[in-house]
Amino acid sequence: MGIERVESSDAELVRRIRTGDIGAYGALVSRYRDRLGRYALHMLGDREDAEEALQDSFVRAYRSLARCDDPARFGAWLYGILVNRCRTSGARAARRRRMFVRDADALHGAAHADQSDRLEWTDAVDRALARLAPESREAFLLKHVEDLEYEEIAELTGAGVSALKMRVKRAREQLQRYLREAEHV
Amino acid sequence: MFEHEDDVVQRVIEQLRRPVAIDPALDARVMEVIAAPRPPTRAIWPWLAAAAVLVSLIMWRPWSRSFRVEAAAFQFVLVAPHANSVSLVGDFNDWDPKRSPMRTANGIWATVVQLAPGRYRYAFLVNGVEWRADPGAPAVPDDEFGTPSSVVTVGGRGS
Repeated sequence: MGIERVESSDAELVRRIRTGDIGAYGALVSRYRDRLGRYALHMLGDREDAEEALQDSFVRAYRSLARCDDPARFGAWLYGILVNRCRTSGARAARRRRMFVRDADALHGAAHADQSDRLEWTDAVDRALARLAPESREAFLLKHVEDLEYEEIAELTGAGVSALKMRVKRAREQLQRYLREAEHV
Repeated sequence: MFEHEDDVVQRVIEQLRRPVAIDPALDARVMEVIAAPRPPTRAIWPWLAAAAVLVSLIMWRPWSRSFRVEAAAFQFVLVAPHANSVSLVGDFNDWDPKRSPMRTANGIWATVVQLAPGRYRYAFLVNGVEWRADPGAPAVPDDEFGTPSSVVTVGGRGS
């Protein structure tokens, strides 16, 4: 799937914004907030930090829209801004808080008999993810959760494809190990 | 439980791909910020500005020097013999290509801008589509906008 051109509507919205239609930016925010929010949340491990990073990325993107040289790929460009924003945010916070995120379904749809198992698994995944080195977590999330191609990730992160493959491989191995450890605690 | 790595990782991926709930008010906050005039006007701003001016005066001590720190003219040059148009864009002109178009003579493009002391990121926009960093200046190491850019620092003491 990857970062796709979203028909021509991104380009059209960007064109409208550039001609002074600020309201058109609301459509872009609405379009990308959930997917980018998910990345920020998993990357930073903290809802408040994630929403701050997301909001800041949207604002920075708007104010730098003149630098988006391919409006049809606005989404990919915005992703790049968020990835960098998460890097600085993550470094600053140094994962100072460990507020692990459970998705709404896990919290509210828990009428099932396996509720506690599921929450336990969710926590275990979040904790394992948090233990990964930031660059490994970033590569793993972009590759396997956001479903980007290595070439796209390389473009976003500035890292080489070989290094990215190594990071993803390491992340997979470490997640396996951390979750195995969690099972035996 | 964890017999195969692929099974475990696949479960992790499925877990992480689930939609997450983002504050619905975020959209409104973004729109509010971008619609607000820049810089944000807050009561503390005048005091900060006054403090900045005071610190600047103390540091530069204009009363003891024969020159004053003001914006100075800087020429930016790019060799691009095949370009049809080149614009200088940067922090100093809000990255607006229309504000600093460059003129050419035999493929050497140049323009002059007034810069007050400070640090500015900039780039050249070639043919309206191609971003180029300045080959003669330090590159910005980690540009969050994904396009190459350079940095120039204008000194505050007559440099």
